[in-house]
Amino acid sequence: MGFSENFYHLYENLLFKYSLNSIYLVLGVSFLVTILGVSTAWLVTFFNFYGKKFFQWALILPLAVPPYLLAYVFTEFFDYSGTANNILRSLLNAESNVIFFPNIRTIFGAITVFSFTLYPYVYMVSRVALMNIPASVIEASLLLGKNSISTFFNLSIPLIRPAIVAGLALVAMETLADFGAVQHFAIPTFTTGIFRTWTGLYDLTTALQLSTMLLLVIFIFLTLERQSRSKIRYVNSSTTHNSYKPIQLTNFKNVAAFFICFIPVFIGFFLPVFELIHWSSQVDTLISSKTVTAASNTLIISLSAAMLTCLVALLINFIIRSFGITQLLNDLLSIGYAVPGLILAVGITKMFTSIDGWLINFDIFITGSILGLILAYIVKSYAISNNVINSAFTSIPLALDESAHTLGASKIKLLKNIHFPLLKTGLLTAFLLVIAELIKELPATLILRPFNFDTLSVSVYLLASEERMFEAAFPSLVIIAFGLIPIYFLDKIILSNNK
Amino acid sequence: MKEFLKVKKIDLSYDKNRILRGLNLVVDEGHFVAITGASGSGKTSLLRVICGLESPKSGEIILDNSTLFNKDISIPTEKRNIGLVIQEKVLFPHLNTKENIEFGISSNKNKNLLSSEIMKRLNIQSLANKYPHELSGGESQRVALGRSIVMKPKLLMMDEPFTGLDKKLKVKIYPEIQSILNDSKITALMVTHDLNEVKALADKCFNLESGKLTEL
Repeated sequence: MGFSENFYHLYENLLFKYSLNSIYLVLGVSFLVTILGVSTAWLVTFFNFYGKKFFQWALILPLAVPPYLLAYVFTEFFDYSGTANNILRSLLNAESNVIFFPNIRTIFGAITVFSFTLYPYVYMVSRVALMNIPASVIEASLLLGKNSISTFFNLSIPLIRPAIVAGLALVAMETLADFGAVQHFAIPTFTTGIFRTWTGLYDLTTALQLSTMLLLVIFIFLTLERQSRSKIRYVNSSTTHNSYKPIQLTNFKNVAAFFICFIPVFIGFFLPVFELIHWSSQVDTLISSKTVTAASNTLIISLSAAMLTCLVALLINFIIRSFGITQLLNDLLSIGYAVPGLILAVGITKMFTSIDGWLINFDIFITGSILGLILAYIVKSYAISNNVINSAFTSIPLALDESAHTLGASKIKLLKNIHFPLLKTGLLTAFLLVIAELIKELPATLILRPFNFDTLSVSVYLLASEERMFEAAFPSLVIIAFGLIPIYFLDKIILSNNK
Repeated sequence: MKEFLKVKKIDLSYDKNRILRGLNLVVDEGHFVAITGASGSGKTSLLRVICGLESPKSGEIILDNSTLFNKDISIPTEKRNIGLVIQEKVLFPHLNTKENIEFGISSNKNKNLLSSEIMKRLNIQSLANKYPHELSGGESQRVALGRSIVMKPKLLMMDEPFTGLDKKLKVKIYPEIQSILNDSKITALMVTHDLNEVKALADKCFNLESGKLTEL
């Protein structure tokens, strides 16, 4: 496969722009999410202040809002006739032609959108890492004359650096893989370039070549994330571990801590939710038949794919455990989560068209069928279900398997009567996490969905691309509502880590 | 001899459990005082109260004529200038020996000189570039001690600092520590359950029982 004329055209005219914009995005978002994620994690871990209990879990809420939704909300909210300008005009008694906010459809707007929806990745890993620093280590720093702020910069940050890097790598991967937000902001990046090359120039080969380049960068971040995660262990060097007793903040510090935590939650979650509710109220028919169809399509496809993903993860983990196979198989399959949905779609389409070349003899076509979408969902979400199911499997002592075998149980019986009942909670958690992830998936769904098969995310995307924001509001709210389900479980996981 | 540390009528409770009951303690300047007592008698809690890591319900703590704690004042730990060496490994895992020792004096222009001096005295110069996970128990304790002493604390407190070290090493360390403390004129307070340690190091010894101290 050589390079086509289209590729040389992209190489000479657009590739530099794609690369530069992608780099700006990753750097800007990384900088902002580090500030938002680490500072809030530090505050809720080491201090008591007004609203702390609420913020401990509320800071994760923006995870339920996909970046493309916040991008739609921001565009309208800060628009010339949007809510933000209207409020300020009426407050300041300004003329109707006065504009208070600059155009949000810029790279800085995109950085803001990604940062306020993705910072929870850094917040979560930082919080767990901070909670794992033994109290005695923090106390040692205080005894050596360092105050809380100095301890934060000189001790806590260096100690949790691997966790921060791991969180940042996830953020970078999500930023590079995003399609909806950058497309809405009209920022040329690798993903929009791949989409345009394929759907505009109808050049699948060049789209694949661009995908390979992006995939290489993604794998660098993936390797970085894995390496950083493996280094996190060295934080726990103390012989005993007691959590640090939080310090009560008073007066100005109390108020400051409240606002530092409130701002990201407000911008990343409450602002889009309130604005979407407001838009929904402007529509005559709140629940249209199209929305109902899209919601039922979303639920059917997500539930089926989630069930299949969990089943595959259960069986693979069982086989690995029962036959002593290396975890490498799991590691390989888990790479799928790092592959951008758009690239996955390109790859699956290419694979299916090749298979169709053979199946044509039997008058069967799989390209454009629901199979491609389900396969993409399984590949994309295997890592999520595997993480939960694998750790649930690990918590079952191997001695139980041995006892069952000595009592005459076959492998099937062991899975059915021993493992399955013990894994129920883990399986349910994995199932919910996968559903929540799939419900907001856009790029792979947009490309691989069968003809006339719209999901909620696709409906929202199509309505937003036609600037029909009010109609897009209700399905967007449903996406966020579904996204809230795993938030509850994520908070439980963090709390159990603390214990 | 000047009364350097005065602990007056300290009361400390965890939930409904009274740990210290109107405890009084006076330590003279330059003295080495040991506190013994059964497990759970509140020895560690007393040290944590003195350095400000725990807040007592009532009482008063005065160090070198400055009030550290009473019903109106509570000086934060980092401003009390008290060193605490504990049995647990609390060296900062991402810093090497030299960096650990210089952590508390990072803004001091002579930090290099000061850390070299203390490493020499504690015979740990060869460990300067080693990380905590590369150190043995005895070496870690010396580094922890050096890290506290280099700050020139007004009061050095040690909580079972030699537990886990073998006898030979202990016998070697005792005179070294005594000599450093004497030279630096540092007043010391040590919690231990080992009477040999008390004999080797302490000028005075108290037993903590039922939340109160009695001199032995």
